Amino acid sequence: MAPGISILSEVKNINKKFEKYALKRAIVVIPLLLTVLSSLSALGRSDEILPFEERYQTMDWEDIVAEADGQTLYFYMWGGNESYNRWVSSWFAGRLMEKYNVHLQMVPVDGPGVYINKVLAEKQAGRNSGGSVDLMWINGENFRAMKKADLLFGPFADRLPNISYMDESKLEFDFGYPIEGYESPYGAAQSVFEYNSARVPDPPSDMGALLEWAKENPGRLTYPAPPDFTGSLFVRHVFYYVAGGYEDFMGPFDEEIYSRIAPKVWELLNEVEPYLWSEGKTYPSNLSRTQDLLANGEIWFSINYSPDGAADYISKGRFPESIRTYMFDTGMIGNLNFLAISFNSNAKAAAMVAANEVLSPEVQYHAASPEGMFWMSPLDMERLPETYRRKFESLPLAPSRLPAETLNRFSLPEPGADWLTRIERDWQAEVLRK
Amino acid sequence: MTVLKRIILLGLVIGVILPMIPLFVWAFSGSWFYPSLLPQSLSLRSWSYVFHPGSRILEALFNSFFIAASVTILSLIVGVPAGKAIGMYRFKGKTIVEIILLSPALIPSMTVTMGMQVLFIRYGLSETLMGVILVHLIPTIPYMTVSMSAVFSHFDISFEEQARSLGAKSLSTFRHVTLPAVFPGMVVGAMFSFLISWGQYVLTLMVGGGRIVTLPLLLYSFAVSGDNSLVGALSLVFIIPSLVILVLSSRFLTGESSGMGGFGGV
Amino acid sequence: MNRNTAAWLLTAPALIPVLILFFGGFGLGILQSFSFFPLIGLDTPNFSAYTEVLAEDELLLSLVLTLLVSLSATFLTIALAVTAALALRSAERGRRGILFLFQFPITVPHVIIALGALLLLSQSGFAARLTAFFGIISDSTDFPVLVNDRLGLGIIYVYLWKQIPFIGIIALSVLQSMGNDYEELARSLGAKQSQVLFHVILPLMRPALLPGSVLCFAFTFGSYEVPFLLGRSYPSMLPVLVYRYFTNFNLVQRPLAMALAVLITLFLLVTVILYKKFLGGRNRL
Repeated sequence: MAPGISILSEVKNINKKFEKYALKRAIVVIPLLLTVLSSLSALGRSDEILPFEERYQTMDWEDIVAEADGQTLYFYMWGGNESYNRWVSSWFAGRLMEKYNVHLQMVPVDGPGVYINKVLAEKQAGRNSGGSVDLMWINGENFRAMKKADLLFGPFADRLPNISYMDESKLEFDFGYPIEGYESPYGAAQSVFEYNSARVPDPPSDMGALLEWAKENPGRLTYPAPPDFTGSLFVRHVFYYVAGGYEDFMGPFDEEIYSRIAPKVWELLNEVEPYLWSEGKTYPSNLSRTQDLLANGEIWFSINYSPDGAADYISKGRFPESIRTYMFDTGMIGNLNFLAISFNSNAKAAAMVAANEVLSPEVQYHAASPEGMFWMSPLDMERLPETYRRKFESLPLAPSRLPAETLNRFSLPEPGADWLTRIERDWQAEVLRK
Repeated sequence: MTVLKRIILLGLVIGVILPMIPLFVWAFSGSWFYPSLLPQSLSLRSWSYVFHPGSRILEALFNSFFIAASVTILSLIVGVPAGKAIGMYRFKGKTIVEIILLSPALIPSMTVTMGMQVLFIRYGLSETLMGVILVHLIPTIPYMTVSMSAVFSHFDISFEEQARSLGAKSLSTFRHVTLPAVFPGMVVGAMFSFLISWGQYVLTLMVGGGRIVTLPLLLYSFAVSGDNSLVGALSLVFIIPSLVILVLSSRFLTGESSGMGGFGGV
Repeated sequence: MNRNTAAWLLTAPALIPVLILFFGGFGLGILQSFSFFPLIGLDTPNFSAYTEVLAEDELLLSLVLTLLVSLSATFLTIALAVTAALALRSAERGRRGILFLFQFPITVPHVIIALGALLLLSQSGFAARLTAFFGIISDSTDFPVLVNDRLGLGIIYVYLWKQIPFIGIIALSVLQSMGNDYEELARSLGAKQSQVLFHVILPLMRPALLPGSVLCFAFTFGSYEVPFLLGRSYPSMLPVLVYRYFTNFNLVQRPLAMALAVLITLFLLVTVILYKKFLGGRNRL
């Protein structure tokens, strides 16, 4: 692993290195012409005022808003849900345009790997401003990777006025990794099981019971193969089940605890494997393939991070009406997802304005409503003005959606990211390949 | 024998059409669950999304078309002379030239993408239309030069000389003698260039990022989403323009003077 | 101006972008695979990415699967393309229509047809519904696993769908330029239909089909889109492994991705050279 680690640590100070290694560039056959062109384009820039990065900490919020005026903001996000795309690109973008004259351009991509690679390549090429990515939808392992490689701008979250609607304790760690103001909340996720109520009137109440149920109903349960995120969510629940709770996994990775729990987990999963869909010979590659199996009645359970996903799908006709959601009595994992700003964005003020706006109760309320995108709000209801708290409470609940109290009461925290990495890697070796 | 031939042709027709059927039906479906052979409900949901300005699909359609057309023209400009040199002349280093020009079709693109990305950023070409066009040009070059070298290798240079000796000017020699002879190769090369650019995902993503949105970028973001109805609709948006291209070039693909013959001699 | 200079001048506009951008990118990729990238301060090249990739226990299985899929896709493509071309050559009724349909797959990108194949071949897909409708299967699990399967059947199907027309059209144009003379001569000498096919037609087509099939082989061996959508979780094909290294949230894995990609390229180049040596005959390349 040595070469890579040095990538992470030495991504810094690229510009200096650039000059130093100018000679070595000749290794790559690069025409003089292009060099001239690129230096010409660099001449156009001038830096009379201090860059935003050095001022924003002391600026008033109004001045940040004023600076954002007229900026164009490229927002990179996973683009696989039409409802999200519509809401962001029209309702939310329209609002930003109207209120702040900020032009938000949604860039739908197939996963966070895309923008991480992009920002990384820009850093490697020494492009320290004018980056192509401004704002990103991110959390967990991806956030950690980007922050470690100095690819993010920050800290900025504490500068957002609307951050006061958040419970501070939720702003400290993202999958056990310190946030330190380098991302601000966007939405919440609370995992639930989607199940076919026409087939299973009374779903099993914890992971142990579910695995037993699978043995009695061969072929009707499966989960996406980790490192798919939803797949690893399923496996994380098996870890909590075997350990009898989440507490063991909250600290930094502990080999002693791990080697006590993990073998039992792999044993359980291998024991149930022949009774899974396709006799456990293969696993669906992602959540949507799993949901497709659920929609077509091939399987009867599917774990999902979004408690509103089933309602969204039923409204689009992608799920039959009989799909419901439920949670284990022993609780299920929930987390937050965030917005982060790239280190080389030229629209940092606009990105902060957007990150702040998305945390306003009015915007969150619209996102959560059926006209919005079936969104789960990260805001702390206790801190909202009375009117908004009522509005949130009176949101109509789809039959498949659990009430907010249930979601909150049975919510468990995520394990630290180090645990996750290890779990995902070992699942491949211990379950998939055996 | 004719029975066998009919079976083969029938199998061909079915094999080609079959995977397109669910895509087509899904494009207009709301719910369509197993084991139903027909959708439970029809819906224009995905089409309302296609025409929704926020989806950027129409913008992408325009971009894709503009880029593919520019790539095709550029590819002709650089590929026709190269094809002529390879098809008609014997020269020192010819094998090397051929290998270099073919390599974008032989070397897996992922080997070069990462490095190309850094080059394009470094030289200010990323996130620009010009950069996207330039990067799409690369994989079209092998196909264009092969098509062109094939038609030029059959082209008898004495025709040109005769025309000139009869007093024709170079331009009219080209128009009346050279062009008709190599036209089928140009059409086939142009068709491949257009389609390669039209379907390009990785290279667009790498160079154009999100600033330049093309159809494959939008299609890919839905590819693993499981939204079959949208996948179906986007696929139709994608296929129809390329079908038009095929209609325009179809008769040059087969037949005696086919421009495809060149791929036999790669 | 002598002929050499003229030829080089004519090829220069095509050579320059390929050399600068493509081979420039290739060069940078190779440097990165040796964990050598002066721009970010990695200035001591080493083999650690290679040793780590070669120690990956999925590698061997993955190579076997990749070879299995790409070789069978290539050979089936040739066999079916020649069959189709022979049938199409003398088809009378509806020839234009069938020909057009035959060319149609060339215009469809791989990702679309991979998604189409998924909707067609999965256990709750259109084909399963058809067989259920005719009472052949009673439950979706009775339908054979054709996508995300052990042998890569779904992947092979998509490559066949895309490549048969490509090779078929080449075969057809060779057949047409060949005319009927050889066959008639052979037949007049008393050769049977099968003898004409195996001893006259196929040998005449061989030199034209081999290069196209190298392009097909290189493509199936080195691209990840189709196996990514239709492959199995384990083992996955080599390009999917590269993709997995490349998009891993752990940025440490980037040199591994490049090392494996370079190994795949080397393997392909060796294959092409061997092909040229043993099968290439009088062909260029």
